[in-house]
Amino acid sequence: MIELAGIHRDFQVGDQTVHALDDVSLIIGDGEYLSIMGPSGSGKSTLLNLIGLLDRPSSGRYHLNGQDVTSLSDIAQAEVRNREIGFVFQMFHLIPRLTAAENVELPLIILGLSPEQRQPKVAAALEELHMTDRSHHKPEQLSGGQRQRVAIARAIVTEPKVLLADEPTGNLDHNSGKAVIAILETLNQRGITLIMVTHDTEMGQRARRRLRMVDGRISNEQNGAA
Amino acid sequence: MRVRDFLNLTGSSLIAHRMRSFLTALGIAVGIAAVVLLTSIGEGVHQFVLSEFTQFGTTLVGINPGKATTAGTSMGMFGTERPLTIEDAQALKRLPFARAVVPFVQGNAEVEAGNRRRRTTVYGAGPDMPDAFSMKVKSGRFLPEDDPTAPRAFAVLGSKLRQELFAGSSPLGQRITISGNRYRVIGVMESKGTLLGFDLDDTVYIPAARALNLFNNDTLFEIDVMYDEDTPVEKVVKGIKDTLKARHGRDDVTITTQQQMLDVLGSVLDILTFAVAAIGGISLLVGAIGIVTIMTIAINERTNEIGLLRALGAREGQVLRLFLGEAIVLAAVGGLSGLALGVGMATLLHAALPALPVQVPVTYVVLAEAVAVAIGLVSGVFPAYRAAKMDPVEALRAE
Amino acid sequence: MALHNIDVLRFSWRALRGFPSRTLLMLIAMAIGVSAVVLLTSLGEGARRYVTGEFASLGTNLVIVFPGRSETAGINPSTMMGETPRDLTLEDAQALLRDRSIRRIAPINVGSAVVSRQNRSREVVILGSNHDLLTIRHWQVGQGRFLPQADLDRASPVAVIGSKIRDELFAAKRALGEWIRIGDRRFRVIGVMGSEGRSIGVDVQESIIIPVASAQQLFNTASLFRILVEAKNRDAIETAKQFVIALLQERHQGERDVTVITQDAVLQTFDRILGALTYAVGGIAAISLAVAGILIMNVMLVAVSQRTAEIGLLKALGAAPQQILLLILTEAVMLSAIGATAGLLLGQVGSYFIRVSFPLLPAYAPAWASTAALTVALITGLVFSLLPARRAARLDPVLALSRR
Repeated sequence: MIELAGIHRDFQVGDQTVHALDDVSLIIGDGEYLSIMGPSGSGKSTLLNLIGLLDRPSSGRYHLNGQDVTSLSDIAQAEVRNREIGFVFQMFHLIPRLTAAENVELPLIILGLSPEQRQPKVAAALEELHMTDRSHHKPEQLSGGQRQRVAIARAIVTEPKVLLADEPTGNLDHNSGKAVIAILETLNQRGITLIMVTHDTEMGQRARRRLRMVDGRISNEQNGAA
Repeated sequence: MRVRDFLNLTGSSLIAHRMRSFLTALGIAVGIAAVVLLTSIGEGVHQFVLSEFTQFGTTLVGINPGKATTAGTSMGMFGTERPLTIEDAQALKRLPFARAVVPFVQGNAEVEAGNRRRRTTVYGAGPDMPDAFSMKVKSGRFLPEDDPTAPRAFAVLGSKLRQELFAGSSPLGQRITISGNRYRVIGVMESKGTLLGFDLDDTVYIPAARALNLFNNDTLFEIDVMYDEDTPVEKVVKGIKDTLKARHGRDDVTITTQQQMLDVLGSVLDILTFAVAAIGGISLLVGAIGIVTIMTIAINERTNEIGLLRALGAREGQVLRLFLGEAIVLAAVGGLSGLALGVGMATLLHAALPALPVQVPVTYVVLAEAVAVAIGLVSGVFPAYRAAKMDPVEALRAE
Repeated sequence: MALHNIDVLRFSWRALRGFPSRTLLMLIAMAIGVSAVVLLTSLGEGARRYVTGEFASLGTNLVIVFPGRSETAGINPSTMMGETPRDLTLEDAQALLRDRSIRRIAPINVGSAVVSRQNRSREVVILGSNHDLLTIRHWQVGQGRFLPQADLDRASPVAVIGSKIRDELFAAKRALGEWIRIGDRRFRVIGVMGSEGRSIGVDVQESIIIPVASAQQLFNTASLFRILVEAKNRDAIETAKQFVIALLQERHQGERDVTVITQDAVLQTFDRILGALTYAVGGIAAISLAVAGILIMNVMLVAVSQRTAEIGLLKALGAAPQQILLLILTEAVMLSAIGATAGLLLGQVGSYFIRVSFPLLPAYAPAWASTAALTVALITGLVFSLLPARRAARLDPVLALSRR
């Protein structure tokens, strides 16, 4: 369960203070499917980064599964990211010199698992994304949709409870995009919390819970099928 | 993170940029090769000079007339009102630790044999000389144990002088004339080569008392004492000092031990080797800057990757170590190839110029590799720290 | 179509400015190499000038005569130190003055003796010589006067003492006119040497100079250690040398038993040795220039691959391969030029500080070293950037633009 209360995030741009998040409070239950939409600069990515513990709020409280994570040390936060949270990015962020399997393996390497422990997990994740036959390909040998599938496999290989997707379809053609969304929704149906930032209305409307952000605030919230 | 995974990740990025890694390591390799080659030459010269000196043995003490001046040398051998005499040498011979005592006079005269003549170095010496300086007689014998104050007119030839005067025929028993005085040749020495400009083969040895007469001199240049290895050198010096003080009534000689000379020479050569290595080390410094530059570039290029690693839960320390590892591996590989290059060139040099002594000092080799690794560490720290301290959100967003 | 030079320079400059930290690092690398060459050669040059200066202070237009001669080599330690059956005598020295090419001579005897005054005594280097030694050696008398002008064979009991000897024997008391004992003879102090006058091997301040005939009596010898001969002028040196050899051969029953060297010959030997040393040290330091060149090549390669899109764009806008080549080369040469200039300045500043800290050492970087360092730096910059520049020039514009 994700509980945000009175979150502010201010940035210093030149001599001006920009309020990227302005008093955001939000509770996201386990297994929810949430989309965050809004214009550029509305604070949606900042909110996602905060939830993913890549960023710290200027003020406010953030409890993850009942634990106050705002006060955790950098090292402890890194561990939470590693175990509890999976990221999917618009730019995929695959390491070009590593094969698909090696890219998927990365979080487990950081965790410190032995090769024997890692091997079945990597295989399972790739299998889940139907990428087993591409496991020894380098990213440059894969299509955009395939790259994003490898990235999703990497995000779920540690079996996180939360999946954070920042414009996951932003760099894909329409069909590949729809396929990726379908994969993410399948994962959500299996119980993983899916939080997706997008400015593509069609994709965003598919979520059961939809937030709209303007100027760092949640301007409206819709629930149920659109 | 496991060590093997760590090495795999480091290796993969170095291999991904082969050319770049190669050139960076090459910079270090050139520096290390320069240091290794230069110290090898330095060490070779060192060994060569020491062996030149120790061929006379290390248990030698030289006594010169007069006290040493601050300039370091005693002027007493050119003239002194307190001469060092053959009787002094005899007195020193009675010291319990004295294995061999050689009175020594040196000069320059024309030597004649039949119709051949040659201007050469004349050494006035004593019968102990072959013993004291580990010299060998090739044929005949050395100067005999005569009465040191009135020895017979015998002469022993150096190998080169023998060639010059008696090419083809046996000199033993022949008569030679040294500045008008007649001597009988009783022996020929084995070749000794040159030592610091002294040609030890273009010489003739005659008894010291006769040399003093010949040169109309009343002081010996030097008395050389070879002592028992078991006797500590301080005791030897004191024994000699006391004996001569008793005879002269004052302390008026300069005593130099072979060990002192070796020590001074050794430290001078060490400093030289070190200085040369340091100059070669400037290239290492430039190579280190190369690593800093390339690591800085790499981190700029791989900003996204750093952000990703952080998003996947890598700690700052892990990122730091990853990039530090790359720098160290680069430097260590460069160092190793530089070592191979340096040792190879030293060996080639030795093969091409056998006269130039080359000796690869093991300590320097180990030190050079340690220095290379240290260079990697030091030059990697700054870029790696920058990588570790990157804001993950910014890093992910970077183009 | 041709690019204007100023545009090429501006373009390259902007490219370098775009990556300040990497540009700075490359400049430092180049600067270290160049300044190392400049600094080390200036040290070598300083040592060379110091030694030649020391030799020049021995006197000008000098010819030195040693007794003894060996056939092995011209000069070696055994001729410098040995004795000969036939002495080099005062009469020999006197006879040398007969030739017009010779201005003055100073016979020299050297030895050591115990010098005492009242209850103070010490062992001192004794130089036996004549009046002209002072002029030949360019020495200065601090107090009193030097040895009087007198016949060489006159053994007058007078002595000129070094200032350190004065301090030790007389402390603060007046030395002039006092008597000292050298060996078993008494001498009157007529002068004290000025603080000038160090010469190789013998510290005049720690020596006592007496008439040469007195020294010969003291050391009971008829022979001289050597004779210093000053030629009339530079051109007369060789004439004087030949005259000395011929004269002494004639006086010694036709036997050539002396070694005659000119100061120039010794000077040239030292000059050659130290010159070679300077070259060697400069060469070793120049290795770092090669390393800096490798670095420039490396970074330019990286820059070309990073700026693939930019190069593709330039080509799309109509730039010819030669122009791309020119741009990259200009960038590299600009880099080495700035780095080398900085290194040159750094080296000059460094050698200035050496000169300030060690005033004895005239550490001026020789012009050839600065020129060579600068040239080598520029050439390495150019040569090592050829490969990256060619790679850039050959890029396929379509591929270059499409790659991100």
